[in-house]
Amino acid sequence: MKNKIEISDLRVHYGDKSALNGISFDVHPNEILGIIGPAQSGKTTLLKVINRTLEFTPEATVQGSVKLDGVAIDTIGDVYELRRRIGMVLPLPVGLPLSIYDNVAFAPRTAGLRAKSELDEIVERCLQQAALWDEVKDRLDTLGTKLSGGQQQRLTIARALSHQPEILCLDEFSIAIDPVTTMRIEEVLKTLQKEMTILLVTNLVQQAKRLATRTAFFLNGDLIEIDATDVIFSDNPSNQATYDYVNGTFG
Amino acid sequence: MNAMTTRAERKQKVVLQSIAFIILGVAFIFLWHTLKNARAPSGQPASEAILRSALPSLFNNLYSVLSISLLAILFGIAFAFYLEEWLPVTNWIRRLIESLVAILTGIPSLAYGILAILIFFSYADTLKEAVEAFPFPENIGTIPAQIETTVFYAEALTFILMVMPLTIKTTQEALRSVATPIREAAYALGASQWQVLTRHVVPIAFIRMLAGGCRAMSRAFATAALLIGIYTGYYTTDAGGMSGRFLLFLGVALVLSVFSSSLTEVYDSDLA
Repeated sequence: MKNKIEISDLRVHYGDKSALNGISFDVHPNEILGIIGPAQSGKTTLLKVINRTLEFTPEATVQGSVKLDGVAIDTIGDVYELRRRIGMVLPLPVGLPLSIYDNVAFAPRTAGLRAKSELDEIVERCLQQAALWDEVKDRLDTLGTKLSGGQQQRLTIARALSHQPEILCLDEFSIAIDPVTTMRIEEVLKTLQKEMTILLVTNLVQQAKRLATRTAFFLNGDLIEIDATDVIFSDNPSNQATYDYVNGTFG
Repeated sequence: MNAMTTRAERKQKVVLQSIAFIILGVAFIFLWHTLKNARAPSGQPASEAILRSALPSLFNNLYSVLSISLLAILFGIAFAFYLEEWLPVTNWIRRLIESLVAILTGIPSLAYGILAILIFFSYADTLKEAVEAFPFPENIGTIPAQIETTVFYAEALTFILMVMPLTIKTTQEALRSVATPIREAAYALGASQWQVLTRHVVPIAFIRMLAGGCRAMSRAFATAALLIGIYTGYYTTDAGGMSGRFLLFLGVALVLSVFSSSLTEVYDSDLA
């Protein structure tokens, strides 16, 4: 089986501070990889490296290699093309100050899509996948920033799906979303898994247990353990810290 | 930006930078023309009568103050974009200019008026010669008749020195007010730097930029009013003409300043 993402000896520093100390692992195609770990363990940094938005942090330096479909991402000439292959949902919902429709249609438009009918179709499909369509279908032209926190969060999910990414990175997507809606989105993620690879960063270890094919445990910039979710959540993962963390007896 | 910048990106950056430079160049040449052609059409030195009535002065024309400040504002905005969006924070040119700007915006406008009188007006003839020595084709356009050329140059320089730093500073602040997450979110969706600037950053920052421009303009008018006061007092005994223009300029300054603060408030209440 060919790996979707291959990460080897990835090191990231913010100035003198180390955020990732030489981690290596592979992501298989069409899997949901749960990434768990306490704050400051480098989960978000990892996602930023993958879609190369870490480049906007001037003091960050990146060493090591990240390969997407066997191609090192820092040799990809068209970084915008790379980012369009990756859908990213950030922990704080950032509604772009555009209408709901334009928020979702933004990425297809930057990729050059103009036909109204196609855009309509994409907007409806993505909003439905993000479980937001029923709430906003009558007011698609209102500002995205006027939605509630949870709705904005779902809007960012719809936006991330709008350019049909190969990889979907979800960073704490359910932080502002009620449990019922979260369940609906989780169902959607399970179906999306057939089309794309999903990296799920989450603080809710139960969410990783429910969804993830495999789970990786990060701690202070180190990858402690990566294994099938069943193993990580079993009574005997290979590392004691993992057991302590998933069972809430950490520290 | 860092080790992960590719060649294609650098190439694009060079192109964008060249465009920014061309815009700056064109703005500068335009400004230079305006200055160079600002003279009485007859080419005759101003008569005693003009000195007494119209000279005091250049400011009898709203147009001259308006055009010069507008050009300085456009130039300042272009410059602020270049500094903020393309030069890294650590770049020494950026640091130098930002410190200059910080110094210049801290000077009260009254001090600029005195600066204009003491320094620029004393060397106005030298300035005039320097501008006229510059090899530009003649008569591209003429700016207001009955303007005493040398004084006009001096005043124009003062305005530029006063308006540009303020515009640079307010524009930079407006650009910084666009939250990084918005930029990152747009970039994460595959937008290019140009698309992020034109579709997100400028629309969000526009009102603040406009408010900053109005503030700078208001400052220019206030100083102009001040100088009119001083100059008419100096050249003429006819106080009636003076006070009319003086009040007009002061009024414009006030309106612009109020407009500027109301814009900022609209912005804050709309997007807060």
